[in-house]
Order: sequence, then C-alpha cells, then structure tokens
Amino acid sequence: MARVKSSNQTELTRRDVLVAGGAVAAACLAGCGGQPAPITPSRVSIVKAPAYDQTIYDKVRRLVVEHAGDVRGKNILLKPNLVEFEPESSINTHPMLVHAAFEAFKAQGAATVRIAEGPGHRRNTLDLADAAGYFQTVPGFEDQFVDLNLDETTRVHPERQFSRIKKLYLPNTALGADLLVSMAKMKTHHWVGATLSMKNLFGVVPSGIYGWPKNVLHWAGIDESIADLHFAFPRQMAIVDGIVGMEGNGPIQGTPKHAGVLVAGRDPVAVDATCCRIMKIDPSRVQYLRLGSEQEGRLAEINIQQIGETIRSVATPFELIPQFRELRLENS
Amino acid sequence: MSTELLVSRQNRDGGWSYGRGTSRTEPTVYAILALLAAGEAESSARGLAWIRALQLPDGGWPPQPGFDESTWVTSLVALLPRERLGGAAHERAIAWILGLQGVETSRSYRMRQWLLGAGVPPEHEFPGWPWFPGTAAWVGPTSLAILALDKEHARKPSEDLRRRIVDGRNFLLRRACVEGGWNHGSVRALGYESSPYPETTGMALAAMRGVRTRPVALSIAVAQRFLGECRSADACNWLRIGLLAQGELAPGYCRPSGIAVRTLTEISLDLLAAETQNGKGSLWHA
Repeated sequence: MARVKSSNQTELTRRDVLVAGGAVAAACLAGCGGQPAPITPSRVSIVKAPAYDQTIYDKVRRLVVEHAGDVRGKNILLKPNLVEFEPESSINTHPMLVHAAFEAFKAQGAATVRIAEGPGHRRNTLDLADAAGYFQTVPGFEDQFVDLNLDETTRVHPERQFSRIKKLYLPNTALGADLLVSMAKMKTHHWVGATLSMKNLFGVVPSGIYGWPKNVLHWAGIDESIADLHFAFPRQMAIVDGIVGMEGNGPIQGTPKHAGVLVAGRDPVAVDATCCRIMKIDPSRVQYLRLGSEQEGRLAEINIQQIGETIRSVATPFELIPQFRELRLENS
Repeated sequence: MSTELLVSRQNRDGGWSYGRGTSRTEPTVYAILALLAAGEAESSARGLAWIRALQLPDGGWPPQPGFDESTWVTSLVALLPRERLGGAAHERAIAWILGLQGVETSRSYRMRQWLLGAGVPPEHEFPGWPWFPGTAAWVGPTSLAILALDKEHARKPSEDLRRRIVDGRNFLLRRACVEGGWNHGSVRALGYESSPYPETTGMALAAMRGVRTRPVALSIAVAQRFLGECRSADACNWLRIGLLAQGELAPGYCRPSGIAVRTLTEISLDLLAAETQNGKGSLWHA
C-alpha cells in the first residue's frame, strides 16, 4: 500500500488522506454552498411609448437620468441595431430613439456621445445608416458615427468565457467608452429565441477581421458568444426599442409587432429578462440569459425591481417560430 | 483627383487605413490596385513594401499588423500583380488559398453530419471559401478567392486551380437567390427566400466572368436594376466591376453624382472601376 509521511513522521495511509480530504471538502461545501449570496435586485424601467413621436425625447431623457448615473465628463457610446436597408420595416433601431439618447446624454454633461455599429451582413455601414434615416434625424451624424467593423482593435480576454472563440478582438471605440449603451430592437430571433440588448453586442465584433457575417461567433456557439461579449463590457446600459418590434421569423424576415414600450436599465441581463416577459417568453429558457445571469434566481421576476409600468400592463405575446414555441412563458 | 487623394491619405508606414488610423491590409491592397491601374508608381511601391512585410509564415496575410492568423484578405493580396508583389510571396499566397475551404465541406464535418443522420444540403455540395479559417464559406470571400485563382490560372494554368475555380463557381451558383443575384450567402432562412444585395451581386458576377448560365443571366438583370437605383458607392463600384466582367456595363456609364463616396476603399474601387472601364486595369487580367 502506498504511504505518505506527514511532517511529524506519523505514517498515514492513502485511505487516511482521502478520508481527511473528503471531510475538508464536505465542510467547505456546507459552509460555502449552503448560504447562497443574496441577490441585489437590478432596477429596470418600463415606459409606455405608443409611437415614434416627439414625446420620446422626454421619455428617454428620464430613463437616462434614472439609470445612467453621473455622466458628466464621461465618454458615452450609443450602439443601435442596424441590420438592413429597409427604413419602413422594423429591423433597425429607430433613429429618433438614438437621437433622443444622444441629446439626453449631452444634456446630462457627457464629454462625448458617439454612435457606433458594425452590421453583420452589409459592408456599407454609413449607407445603411443613411437609408435607415440616421443622417436625416441626427444632425451631423457622420461626425458622431464610428463604423465598428473597421475600427482599430485590441485583443481582449473576457472576465468569463463560455464560447470556443480563441482570439477575440474588439473595437477600441467600444472598449474605451465609459458607458456602452446597447440600444437594441425588441425582436424574436430564429437561432436564439429573442434578440435584445445582449445579442445586440454582436455588432461590436469587427467584421473587418471576422467577415460579413461574423461567422466565427456562430461556430464558437451563439449563446456562449453573447455571454462572452456581455462579460467583455462591464460598463453598460441598455435601452430597448420595443415601440415597434419584430415577431415570427426575426431578426430580419419577421413581421412588425407593436408593443409600445421602452425598457431600460444598467443591467442588460435584467433588461432582457424583462423584455422577454413583455414578449411572453420565459427568460429562464433563453440560454444566453442563463449564462449571463451568474447567480441562480437572478432572472426571477421577484429579483428584478420594475420601475414605471408593470409587465402585466404592457405584455403582448410575440409570435414564435415552431422551433422556439417551448420558450413561451407558461400561463400566458 | 482620386489618385492624388489616395496618395495624400497614405500612412507614413506605406499602408492605408480604412479612414483614419493604422494601416490595414484590405484598404492598402485596394489602394495599390487603383494606383497601379492609374499608372502611379512611387506610392504604390511603398504600399507593396508594407504588404510584403506583413506576410505570415503560413503564406497568408492577416487583416492587420499584430494579428497572427491568415484570413480572407489573402485573396485580395493575391490579386496584386505577381511581378510587383514578388514571385515567392505570390506563390505562397496562392497555395494558402488553395488549401482553404469552408468547414461545412470538410471531411470531418461531413462525417459528423453523416453520423447524426443529416444529409448534405445542396448549398454544402461544393467548397467555397470562408472569411476566417475554421468557419463556413460565404459569397464574399469565395468571389475574391475565385478572382485571385482565375488571374493566376490565366498566367499559369493548373488542374488544382481549375478545379477550385469550378467548385467555387458551383458554390456561387448554389447560393444565388431565386430571383437572381447574391446576398452574403444565405439563400433562405426557415423556408423564406432571401433577397440579393447589390455589392455581393457585383462581386459574384466578377467571379463568374466567362460563365453564362440562367442564374448568371438573371443576376446580370438584377445587377442592372440595382445599378439604376443604387444609393451606395460601395455597391455601385462592385456592380460596375461585376457588369464589366460580364461585358454588360452600358458603354460610357458614369456613376451618378449624388452617390456619396465616403471611405478610402470606396475611392480606390471607384478609381479601379473607372480604369477598368477605360481598359487600363482590372481585377482579372494577368
């Protein structure tokens, strides 16, 4: 039998060591795992916004005041979702919403407010923004805009990594922002169920390196890549455009869905979980939300502090393709 | 005017950025091609030196300095004139391109799919090229790789080149949209037919030079329609190049003045398309 000598030369058998080690591990598990750390509820605002009109400016200003904190002297980056040359559809984040956020952060004393995006399919980002109405809506748009697909990059090692991606390069404009504001569109997604503020961060991955589409993320695991990107940007805010979203075969070929809401907060996981409930999707069944939630129970409605409207008062079922019908929130 | 603008925007290290900032492979190659087509020698030579220094040990090129993996930009570099780039560097680039294909047509992937009981969908039948090694093939990088290999095949024919060009073109035919033209490479999503994009339609038409099948004929019609309603310089440039490759650009065509030329790459491709229209240079003559 193998023997190990302790410092006082008392002879211990391998069995003695294993038994002692097991006891220590059991004690540790009892002490460490028995009392889960309490969850600090994230605050999420739900605001009714029936249409893209001038009232949006005041609503967004209040959301910024409520959630962004002191932004004086800070560099703010607004990241809308720009996908296709179809201004009449509900594919892209509405330019008026982005302009409202731009004005709100400026009014709150931000040093710089820039708008940035890196579309996944179309190379001509500025032309896409032009077609989506951004040049018309945001004065001096071109001077405020950064094409993240072509930006300078730095290799990053996310705080937590779930995907199989080996080398993640991200744009310096996004990495250097004091606050990255993900301004997603509320849409269903034919691969991950729903695309909201977390999935919107696919747009920060530079196509100049990875291509159009950013297929590296698909092969590394879509849900896992979404979680990686979430942890790569610790200073975030989310404002989701749910005034007119998209249901069915989203995020491109779905149909417009009027939900009439804006949803905002500093915790993208909590914002997206709330959006899911508004869409009558069970957030606990969306894999990337589970990966991003870190703590058991963090996605639970009771652990998210809702401000403004209740979920019940604005919830409206977004049609789901058959592959995702199991995501439907029960009892809805 | 464009030539002077390109020269004035060259970085001190000899390369070009996408707009402002550090030199990158893609805008540098397009700037060199445009300047060479315009007969400029000094600035393009400095650009070529920058490109040569960036080649990786595997024969390919990274998208930017400091990135240690070869990607789709290798096909662009292989479009540079061999005598300017250097014979050895060019040959290694061609070898790198020949050794790459989309992972969905690899033996290991096919074996895995077979074990899972999945068949080979028509769009996975022929190998194309990915943007990034280890991922699937798409229309953009496949078109660029075909252009590079076709140019080399015209200089020095080989069976390896011919086979990959034919396979690549078959890949593109499988990925053509039902109405004609190409998007990024997704023909349909969940049963819905996808629509073509102007820029990828132009790129693929250039890669299909000399091929006249029904999908190509349909795509020429789509490209001509796109060109008539074009709002993007990038799209307009590639449509001109694609239609020129097919001999279908209207004689004397001029880019509408209302289209904004916004990036260095757009300036380069505009110049390259114009010079090709004048018979002075192209992406396909050896």
